[in-house]
Amino acid sequence: MRSFSSIWFRWGKWFFIIPLAGIVVLGIISVIYIKLAFPETRCEFATHLESPDAAADCFECHLKCTPKIAQDWYESKHGVILVKCFVCHGQPDGKGSVPYAVDPDVDGTCRKCHDPSINRMEHLYGLELNCNKCHPFHQNSLHHKAYVKPIAKKKIE
Amino acid sequence: MDVTRREFLKCAAASSALMAIGGPLAFAATEQPVDKWVKGVCRFCGTGCGVMVGVKNKQAVTVKGDPNNHNGGFLCLKGALMTPIIYAKERLTQPLIRKNGELVEASWDEALDLTASKFKDAIKKDGPRSVAYYGSGQALTEETYLASKIFKAGLKSNNVEGNPRLCMASAVGGYVTTYGKDEPCGSFSDIDAATCFFLIGTNTSECHPILFKRIAARKQSDPNVKVIVVDPRKTNTARIADIHVGFVPGTDLAIMNAMAYVIIQEELDDYRFHSRYVSFMDNKKNKLTFEDYKKFLEDYTPEKAEKLSGVPAATIRKIAKIFAESSATMSMWCMGLNQRIRGVWANNLVSNLHLLTGQIGKPGATPFSLTGQPNACGGVRDTGGLSHLLPAGRLIKKKKHRNEVEFLWGMEPDSLNPKPGYHTIALFDALGKGKVKALLILCTNPAQSLPNVNKYREAMARKDNFIAVIECFRDAETLKFADVVFPAAFWCEREGVYGCSERRYALIGKAIDPPGQARPSVNILVDLAKRIGVDPKLVPFKDSSDIWEEWRRVAKSTPYNFWGITRDRLRKESGILWPCPTEDHPGTEIRYVRGKDPNIPKDYPKKYDFYGKPDHRAVIWFRPYKGAAEEPDKEYPFVLTTGRVIDHWHTGTMTMKVPELRRSFPKAYVEINDKDAKKMGIRNGDNVLLTTRRDKMVFQARVSDVCRPGLVFVPWFDVNLMINKLTKDAFDPGSKQPEFKICATKVSKV
Repeated sequence: MRSFSSIWFRWGKWFFIIPLAGIVVLGIISVIYIKLAFPETRCEFATHLESPDAAADCFECHLKCTPKIAQDWYESKHGVILVKCFVCHGQPDGKGSVPYAVDPDVDGTCRKCHDPSINRMEHLYGLELNCNKCHPFHQNSLHHKAYVKPIAKKKIE
Repeated sequence: MDVTRREFLKCAAASSALMAIGGPLAFAATEQPVDKWVKGVCRFCGTGCGVMVGVKNKQAVTVKGDPNNHNGGFLCLKGALMTPIIYAKERLTQPLIRKNGELVEASWDEALDLTASKFKDAIKKDGPRSVAYYGSGQALTEETYLASKIFKAGLKSNNVEGNPRLCMASAVGGYVTTYGKDEPCGSFSDIDAATCFFLIGTNTSECHPILFKRIAARKQSDPNVKVIVVDPRKTNTARIADIHVGFVPGTDLAIMNAMAYVIIQEELDDYRFHSRYVSFMDNKKNKLTFEDYKKFLEDYTPEKAEKLSGVPAATIRKIAKIFAESSATMSMWCMGLNQRIRGVWANNLVSNLHLLTGQIGKPGATPFSLTGQPNACGGVRDTGGLSHLLPAGRLIKKKKHRNEVEFLWGMEPDSLNPKPGYHTIALFDALGKGKVKALLILCTNPAQSLPNVNKYREAMARKDNFIAVIECFRDAETLKFADVVFPAAFWCEREGVYGCSERRYALIGKAIDPPGQARPSVNILVDLAKRIGVDPKLVPFKDSSDIWEEWRRVAKSTPYNFWGITRDRLRKESGILWPCPTEDHPGTEIRYVRGKDPNIPKDYPKKYDFYGKPDHRAVIWFRPYKGAAEEPDKEYPFVLTTGRVIDHWHTGTMTMKVPELRRSFPKAYVEINDKDAKKMGIRNGDNVLLTTRRDKMVFQARVSDVCRPGLVFVPWFDVNLMINKLTKDAFDPGSKQPEFKICATKVSKV
């Protein structure tokens, strides 16, 4: 049996090259798709960090590049009352006043508005780093699709 | 590298175990323990949300909502991002004096003495009418009361004005003409009980986000709650609306009269209520009857209103029915009705609907005017910070009121100036004509916020007048015209009281020290007054709490009763609603109702008492439809309207300091209806030239269906694209509030 290292020596580079080429091709296709599919809107998607002064209107572009997330936000309570992306997630270049994070910091961010609820949760379930764990991100819309994760449905005793 | 399967599994187990315990560890690491939380009020809009400032090492590091205030702990995006403003590099830390055209640093003594000598000279040469104060709905209650007293009592000049003239003067006019007393009769708590919301001329979602949240929550809790949004723009507020009524800008007066017509025709009016508590009056103040009112409304059938406003008659009938048939209807309005040449009439017409249907004085049923600034409703209206007012609803032109105030202020009888001063537009006009020689501006930015601002910038730029500005930020546009600048303590750097839209007064506690040599405005005003030569007995104040004690005394014997709102209570409680006559009184949520309003005797024989009027009846006014000062025509076919975006506030001197907010809307734009844009070949992002009879300017286009066809919208926060150079300075003859909301414009692609 040939050893693992000899196979690696012979074919190993292709493990990188093929997926990389795939990513590049997919990237080009998605950029072309966006350019062709949305001719009316000038999307800064491609120049995300190159023009940081226009980068805070996240929703406009993310509706195209991550439509599910953008739509979730739009339908959520935060979306209805316009608590925009940067209030919780900061700025992609990290130059905002809020730290750039996918999961907002409980103390630094969530507590600004949800201090009473966080205290209540802490009392019931103990310390938790991430509110998203039980309260699905961007959900709890006015049309109420909230609390789909089982832990949040647990009856309080 | 060879890794066996066993080793790999070991590693994976170890790392997941690390991740599992990592939670609480990381939690502890990211925790920001603050040394103390200081209770305050938000610096932005008239909602007046309670804010706690987190202080660590004598620095304000974070904020959170005050759970005990009306906002229940919630903040909007501006409120949540407030801390960077305090530490902006543009903060002023030393007084400035203009020398050879440049503002250069100076000492406090130098700046104060120069200002005092200029004011003294002006009074000596041209009399007290040549000096003026221009204040703000963002100044503290104590600051406005003090400035008003210094100028009216100390300098005998009634030229005491403020930006509330641009913001809610029409609401004051509306409340005073209808009920006899200013300020809303309901409170925010009515939102939780209302079953119908009639939102007219307000983009609540972007201008009062936390109130909008409360309305949305109310609608979510009961799907039968109806929300009617009447606005020529289909804003985010309309997202939760059952009916959005778009109409030709300026025709809302006809729509509301048509609603009254429908209500009477379909017998949805509350005859029992309006026959007992309401009198009917026409524009000439003739007392008329209900039958006359019916006759007056015959000009406003829904069909006739449809022709004017473009709203289908069926829609007008529908909203009138929902308004009248709901168990509790709450109206809210803001600048859409106030910033109009018929702003007072528009305000009256909303109250008409409530008085006709008896939708008033019950939980959830109230006509509620929203204000734009954190202390416009409170500080300026109540303490008399306008040119025709004295504290606590008293009027300068009434001898009895003047004598009361003279007695309270320890002055000789008949020593106050009996002639009201200039209102805002007249004041800046007089400045341009050289009639006002010395002007003190506090906490506002008129070089950007006045309508037709080019004209008034010229007035401010005159070489022969003197302008002193008390300001926090060196990039405020008005500083370009200032001769002396005093650096002021900002927001939580000094203690003081704000009063929000719902008559709620709350204390902003002092959390941190002001930077450099900046001082609280109260101390600047007292020092300046003494140097000008005002009797020191008139200004015996060390800090704002001394002024609050005097204000309570001055308001005590009036319906504006603050006696129970002591400083100690303000420090403990998160806001109290006046009237509050005693220290154990919880505050008043509903006015004009026996048992709720402490101004009405407990044994009063009727349920309602509109004590502001001599006959104890509120007034239904016959207000005809009248168009805007500048209607669109062939040459200027579009209507231009201005307003706010949620990210920015007023002239952007504060919100532009927050990186997130600045980047969210780096500059102003023009919002155009998609059909109009298609006709003119304008696409999103194209440059568009707006031309009015006053000026022209290029904006980037945002094409959407928010504006109706024939309407364009430009926000006014941008100092580089100052839309107020294009707006018209026509004003309401009653309230003197300018018509920012409507002027005619040309739109062309460049």
